[in-house]
Order: sequence, then C-alpha cells, then structure tokens
Amino acid sequence: MTTALEFRPDQARSLAGEVMARSGQNLNACYQCRRCASGCPVGEETGYVTPDRLIRMIVLGKRESALDNPLIWKCVSCYTCGARCPNDIMTARIVDTLKKMAKEAHVPPLSPKVAAFHGSFIAAARRSGRLNELEFMGRYELKNTLRGLWKLKFAEIFDEHKSQAGLGLTMLRKGRMHFRFQKIKGKQEFRRLIRKGGERATGLSKSPASQE
Amino acid sequence: MELAYYPGCSLKASSEIYDAQCKRVLSAIGINLHELDDWNCCGATSASKTDDYLAIAMPARNLGIADASSYAELVIPCSACYSRMLVVQKVLESDRNLLNEVNGELSKKVSGRTKILSILEAIRPSVDSGDLAKSVTRKLEGLKPACYYGCMLTRFPYGVPVPDNVDNPQGMEIILKTLGATPLDWSYKTDCCGASAAVNDNETSIKLMSKIMKEATARQANCFVTTCPMCQLNLDVYQEKVRATYGITRSMPVYFITELIGIAVGLPPSDLGMDRHFVDAMALLRELKLYG
Repeated sequence: MTTALEFRPDQARSLAGEVMARSGQNLNACYQCRRCASGCPVGEETGYVTPDRLIRMIVLGKRESALDNPLIWKCVSCYTCGARCPNDIMTARIVDTLKKMAKEAHVPPLSPKVAAFHGSFIAAARRSGRLNELEFMGRYELKNTLRGLWKLKFAEIFDEHKSQAGLGLTMLRKGRMHFRFQKIKGKQEFRRLIRKGGERATGLSKSPASQE
Repeated sequence: MELAYYPGCSLKASSEIYDAQCKRVLSAIGINLHELDDWNCCGATSASKTDDYLAIAMPARNLGIADASSYAELVIPCSACYSRMLVVQKVLESDRNLLNEVNGELSKKVSGRTKILSILEAIRPSVDSGDLAKSVTRKLEGLKPACYYGCMLTRFPYGVPVPDNVDNPQGMEIILKTLGATPLDWSYKTDCCGASAAVNDNETSIKLMSKIMKEATARQANCFVTTCPMCQLNLDVYQEKVRATYGITRSMPVYFITELIGIAVGLPPSDLGMDRHFVDAMALLRELKLYG
C-alpha cells in the first residue's frame, strides 16, 4: 500500500456509493478531525490505517487498500469511533461492510484467524439455532489446523493447540465448560428465516435517526 | 415485578453461573424472570460481520417471541445480546419493508411493543423505591470496586436511546452504593477489553486488558464488577497472563453485579457459584468479613 493517496474519480464514485449504501454511513460528512483515530483502542496495531484514513481511502476510490488493510481485521467492534464522531459516522459499520465486500471479492483476509472465528460462530449458531461453545471452538480450531497443514506450518498448529488445550483445561476445572448440547425446537422456522442470508446484501442502507 | 428473560448462549455455557445468579438474586429482591420460550442465538457481532440479513433476522425471531409473550418488559443480562436486540428492534421500527419481510417468515410476529432492559435498568426501580436497601442484610463495607461496563452497554452501532451516560455511566455505581460499597471513579470503565479478539488475536486482547488493569490498580480498586459475561470471562481467565506480561503485581477478582447483590442480601456464595471464578473470588470477601 502506498501512503500517498491518488484520486481516481471513476473508481471513487462506485466504491464510495457502494460502501455508503451498504453501511448506511454518510462518508461525505467526514471532515477528518480524527477524534475516531485518537479514541481507537487498536490504533497502535493498525499502522497507517486509522478510521478517518479508511474513510478517505474509500472517498478517493482506493478499492484495493480499502478491502485489504489491518484496520478491518484488527477492529474489535467497540464502537468508540462512532460514539466520538461529531458527524455521527459509525466507522465500525463501514469496517463490517468492507469485511463482507472483501470476502465477496475473494480478497484473502489479512488475519485468517479472525475470519475463521466469525465464520465458525455463525456456522455453529445457524446449525442448532443456539451457539454451542464447544462446537464453535471445534470448528474454529479445525479451520486453523487445516490452513496450517496446507501451508505446512506445523509449529504454528502445535502452539495453537497447546494454548487452546491449556485454556480448555482451565475452563473445565472451574466448571465453566459445558457439554450439554443446546438446540432450538423451531429449527425449521429458524432455517427458513435465515435462508435468505447470504443471498443478497439487504436493506440496511437506511439508517435510523442519528444518535441524539 | 415479572419480566421476560433472554439469557443468550453464553449464559447456558461458560457463564452458566450468571444465569443461575440472575434468577436467584433477582427473585430475592422481588424480580421474577420468565425465560423466553425457544429463543435462539442473537448472532452477536459475528453476524453483522458476516451477513447483513442474518444480523437482523436472528434477533428478530426473539423479538417476535417476546412481543407475543404476556410480559411488557424483557431483561437481557448479556451486553452483546442486549445491544443486538435493542439495535434490531430500532432498525425494524424504522424500516417497514424489512419488518414485513422478516415477519413473513415468523410464526410470532415482531410488533415492537416489548421494552428491552439491561440488567442495570431492571434492578434500578428497586434502588429508587428503597426496596433494595431494605433487602440488604450485610453492607459491603471495604469493597472498592472498579465498575467495568465495557463497550456494549453504552455504545451502539445504530442510533438507539442510550439509557446511561455514554462516557461515564453510573448504573452500577448507584446499585453498589446502595449495597454499602465504595465504587471508585476511574477512566477505563467503558474501554474495550478485547474479548472478541481473546481467541483469535490474544496479544491485542491482553494489551487492552493491561491498560484497564493498570488504571484500576492505580486507583486502589480491590475488585472489578461487570454485567457482561464476555468481559467477566476475559478479565478473569486471562488475568494471570496480563499480569505476567505487563508486570502488574496485584490481582483482582472480577465479580458479576449479581454476585455482590447476592452477598449483600445474605445469599451464600456457594449458591452463587462463586467458587467457579479463575481469580479467587472468595479471598477478598473473607478478608473483608463479608460472609461466613
């Protein structure tokens, strides 16, 4: 990624339009005051890309950088950026939108573990209607292991399993791990309801009245 | 007071003790909880990072169940569930097309009539009426908690009415003062502990927690109090690692607000599952002679 931002009007229009429509956020309202950046708890981890600069990238049409940068993978969804913004721009929702756009564009995630985490959560919750932590963690570790095997990173796999097994044992000892499998009775209704998910990017372009 | 109750998935697993405490402790102060029939996972923050429609549809089914119940108010102790349900209720209220689309698939339709409460909002009326103070049999003298709200009780990804001060909430302090504790002023009460990154980016999470711990110990707090099961587990299970990595000498138990209310109204700690913490939750209570 270069740090000097160049302007490409054709690309800017389509990218900014798409992100604004999907995130429901008015990027044109950003006047780069950087209150978001100074409050961001992962600011030290994201290098050049702070929330304000992410907005700038989108406005300038830098599609590649917008879909592939540390902020969209380091963001912890604390919503501090939105709470601090004098123009009510919720950058965390822009980040969520970019994460989905990156996936649709088959951009490999900078942090595959974060992608695996959220993917496994939703896969587990979709299947039973409730999230079973053991299934969630099982799916997550399987994804990480397979990725590690594919890349022949055996030491990484070993470290991951060692630390997760340690955590698992501690949880077990304190009676904080559970083996009773939770599922809902209305599974059919639930499946019918969520089937539409993934088929389209809905309907959330409209943002409710901005925060008082 | 009779309230509908949405525990959410983590209160049926790693934070099962919180589920039991909510039921037991709230009934001891006159609030009876009625678990929603056949509720499903709210999708938490993962749904909104994966699929826009899922992020709406998953909480919507629960809202429909609550709206069809006989209760006017629904209490949601988990901050992530609370945030998602509150946000989706607001989104559906302002987008009739989406509401109709979702309702088309639901046997119990969303009408939007249910008032959603955090656990602090559910307890608050008993503070204001003086009932909570009357139930206290043991003042929590000597307890100096750092009340930790985390992200999701006061900051939302949509414009919803925030029930407390965004930067300096007081909901927990008000309850704890009623119990005789001395909650401290401190700066990190709404900072993020990185619970969502604890598994997939542990270093970041440990670093965020170190800032919270340093500030709380510098203010001479002797414990954390929280309402969020993710914050509680994160600060509790990884505290040793945080201390070792960042050279913090003191350890601090991480209480759920329900545990401290339980102790103050005379419930035995074993009934509250307080032996199931990672940082010893009993030592401080013994030291301050708050039980036994």
